[in-house]
Order: sequence, then structure tokens, then C-alpha cells
Amino acid sequence: MMNDEKFFAWLDGELSSAEAAEMEAKVAADPELAGLAEQHRALGARLTGAFDPIAEAPVPARLQAALRPSADVIDLATAKRKRMTPSLPQWAALAATLAVGVSIGTLVPKNTNAPVEVQGGAIYAAASLNRGLDTQLASAPSGDMRIGITFRDQAGEVCRSFTQQASSGLACRSGGRWKLKGLFAAPEGQGSDYRMAAGMDPNLAALVGLTMNGEPFDAAQEKAAKEKGWK
Amino acid sequence: MDQPSSFENELAGLLPRLRRFAHALSRNATDADDLTQATIERALRSRAQWQAGTRLDSWCYRIMRNLWIDTARANARKSAREAPEDEGLNVGEDPRDAIEASVDLKRVMMAMERLPDEQREVVALILVEGFGYREVSEMLGLPIGTVSSRLVRGRTALLALVGER
Repeated sequence: MMNDEKFFAWLDGELSSAEAAEMEAKVAADPELAGLAEQHRALGARLTGAFDPIAEAPVPARLQAALRPSADVIDLATAKRKRMTPSLPQWAALAATLAVGVSIGTLVPKNTNAPVEVQGGAIYAAASLNRGLDTQLASAPSGDMRIGITFRDQAGEVCRSFTQQASSGLACRSGGRWKLKGLFAAPEGQGSDYRMAAGMDPNLAALVGLTMNGEPFDAAQEKAAKEKGWK
Repeated sequence: MDQPSSFENELAGLLPRLRRFAHALSRNATDADDLTQATIERALRSRAQWQAGTRLDSWCYRIMRNLWIDTARANARKSAREAPEDEGLNVGEDPRDAIEASVDLKRVMMAMERLPDEQREVVALILVEGFGYREVSEMLGLPIGTVSSRLVRGRTALLALVGER
């Protein structure tokens, strides 16, 4: 064939209209060229048919988690380990163990101002944690607590990630309260500087990835949600 | 947290397409998602280098393609000739159409895998991702004539590999 590249450029809509008209006429007058055009159009359709389902599939949680603000410290090795970590119900159990065993036991002073309370097997934010979740905005941290991101879960409830002293966690609205979905202690030795030194705890990032539906709130959405009482 | 959201939101919106491109470049799904993740991380770290007002998608595709070249070199062609997974499992009552369709899609995928890298990336960017010749030429830093001739060779080889329907 005389000019492959021009023919294909025509097929791909890359020619100027004058050139395209010329090629159009040439193809119309040549059954062999017309057949070739047909085959290549079908090939294009088969290619998109093969690859489009990938773009239509849900994006895996670990990729969403990689995208979260301050989650960018998670490297590939961490992601690979994470692929082998347990699924959500086990996460919840693990987090509960951590919350009771580590956070309440060691990180939180034993007084009536404990930032969590256990009720009916679930853990809820209390005292300073509850106040922080209710009132703080990510853009305006105050005290020893910092809000990470705010978003809605699969059930449409508002969830917020937070860091307080050496632990970080995720809480979602449930029955008008903040129910803890997970609470993670910083690795040994990182202490209270952890929240400044590193990004989101990889375990928390994974939990966030599993929980989040859609996009995290921007500053305006966060503020609006606060004004509506996190409904 | 004052102005992070638009960049990240835009990036999030690109994720499905970036994954698709990663699957065209890589030869298995795990590598493809690793490549996608590495691309996200690189994009977040390099965000200062992205010029607002220019296309974020082209910029991310370029990052992905460069990362892929790096790892492809490092892996030195460890080809994935793993046995294809059984695709006949998720079919409805009359499985013939579905099987035929999925076999054809698999054949197309496998043919893509056999294309030389420099043809595969051009075919993926233009015929799958829908970029124009000029955009791809800028993205890959190649003369437009080179893009065009690689595309001709790639799609011709592909058609020969998959045959007519």
C-alpha cells in the first residue's frame, strides 16, 4: 500500500480536513483499503473492549490509600506487606485489642476524662477525643489532637481520622456518636513526635482505604459537615 | 491542608485510567498495580514540578511510563508466561457468547503482551487511552513521525497476531 502512515492517520482522525477528504475518497474507491480500514476499526474496538473493564473496575483500596494526604510515606514494600494483612472484621478486632490493651492502658491517663468508652462491645470517643472530633477542622489543629481526613463510608456516615499523642485512629458516626473503627499505637520509640515526623500510620491508611466511599472532604465540605452536626 | 485537595482529587479521578495504562504496560495485574502505586507516590512527591494549567493526565502518564521503563530494565525481561486463569467460571446460562468474548479479549491482551515495548506503549496511548499523535509525541519525547510509524507497526503486528474475528 502506498502510504501506510497517512492511511492510519486518517483512520485516527489525525489528518486535516482536506487531506482526510482525499483519503476518504481513495478508500471508498478501493475495496481492499476499505476492508483494511474495517479490520483496524474492529481491532480498535477489541482493544478498548479488552482494556476498558480495567478502568471501570473499582480502584483497589491500597491505591486509594496511597493517594490520601500524608499517606505518601507508604512505600511499595509496605504496600506489599499490606496485601497480606487480614480483612476488615479482623482489623476491627485487632484495633479493639489495641485500643483496650495499648491506648487505654498506657497512653491515656486513668481518670474520668478517658478519651474512649466501651459500650456494648463497641468503643466510642469520649471527653477530649469526642470534643476534638466534633469541633476540630483539619485546617486548624489545636491542642494535642489533629484531624487527618474526613469522608463518608459505604453507609454514608461521616468518618474522620485523627492523631492524638502517640496513637492514631478512625472514627465514624453511629447513633449520633463517634464510634471507633480502629485505633493504632505508633511503633515503639516514635512517641509523641510520631504525628509530626511521619505521615499516616500504614495500618490506619489501609483501614481508611477500606472504609472510604468516594473522595475525602475538602476544607469547605468539612466545615459544612461540621455545621450540620456531622449528619 | 489548605490547598491539597484539588491536586489529589484530580489525581484520584485519573486513577482508573492510569491503572488501565499500567495494565497495558505491565504483563500482570500485580505489577500493574505496583506501577500505579509508584506513579501516585512519585506524582505526589513531584507535585511542585507540575505546572498548573497543563494537563495533569499527560504528566502522570509520562511519570508512569518512565517508572515502567526503569523497572522493566531492572527486571530484564522476566516474562510472565504464567498459565492463564480459567476465565470460563463467571458465565451465565448460555455461556457461549461470554466465553467467546472473554477468549477474544484474552487473545487481544496476549497479543499486546507480545508487542515490543516501544510499539506497545504507543498503541496503548493512542488506541486505548485515546491520546492524539502530538500529545504522545510530547509525552514520550519522540518525533511525531516516530510515533506514527511505531503505531503502524504495532497495530499491524497486533492484527496479524489476533487475526480477524
